[in-house]
Amino acid sequence: MPSCKDITEHSSDYLDRNLPWWKRMGYWLHLAMCVHCRRYVDQLKLTIDTIGKSPDATTPNVSPEEIQAIVEKMKRSTKNKDG
Amino acid sequence: MANPTLPSDDELIPRLLANDETSYAQIVAAYHGLMVHLARAIVGEAIADEVAQEAWVAVLRALPKFERRSSLKTWILRIVSNTAKSRLRHESRTVSLDESLEENPIIDPARLKPNAHWASPPAMWHADTPDALLASTELRRCISDALATLPPLQRAAVTLRDMQGLSMEAICKILEVSESNGRVLLHRARSRIQMAIEEHEGQ
Repeated sequence: MPSCKDITEHSSDYLDRNLPWWKRMGYWLHLAMCVHCRRYVDQLKLTIDTIGKSPDATTPNVSPEEIQAIVEKMKRSTKNKDG
Repeated sequence: MANPTLPSDDELIPRLLANDETSYAQIVAAYHGLMVHLARAIVGEAIADEVAQEAWVAVLRALPKFERRSSLKTWILRIVSNTAKSRLRHESRTVSLDESLEENPIIDPARLKPNAHWASPPAMWHADTPDALLASTELRRCISDALATLPPLQRAAVTLRDMQGLSMEAICKILEVSESNGRVLLHRARSRIQMAIEEHEGQ
């Protein structure tokens, strides 16, 4: 069965379902018995959800003017290449 | 992963190769914000937009040689990542894009007993939902500061996975890391944010 240290090191793999089934079983058994690791994994899950909702997670806005300016730059670059 | 506002890669690529202005505008509208978000994770806010614009020119230059081993979106983001990484190296603003696992264990070893079980286990947090945690201005700042101090590749991994929802397979292609390294980058980033929240909650 994994130790508490093992649990902390692979908890993203557990939450992202990236562990092979036999490791997942060991993980699950440990969590069933260890309240500290259950809390640790629950808090990691909460952290992941919080990161996704944090202001830093917002995709930067791009205005129509910025889009047009980039398109112009792209057109110039292809003209230079063709020329 | 497909963007509903964009035609399929099969339709879009020939139009881009034919220098179709409408397709340029469509693809810039669909991906530029995401490109800036990724560039910001690697090079920081100040030059992220410049890096993303530079990447568009590189995309058009490389498009005739695009071999379709990934989606167009993944391939474009890989160009952004490479443009940003070379910019960082050029400016020598960082010694390394990441740190080794040995140097930074996930948990402070002092919190574990010699038998690798908890000596100082995690304490309860005052909130149990993202909205309740983020209601605190201080905690929002604390998360933002923790993100800002992550090594660039860790910040890129957490941005692409937990903020943008990309698959690990795509992220590893974009950052040019193996799948196991990609997972380690992501887990270290998440753990550092978790520790930052824990420290804040313990105050």
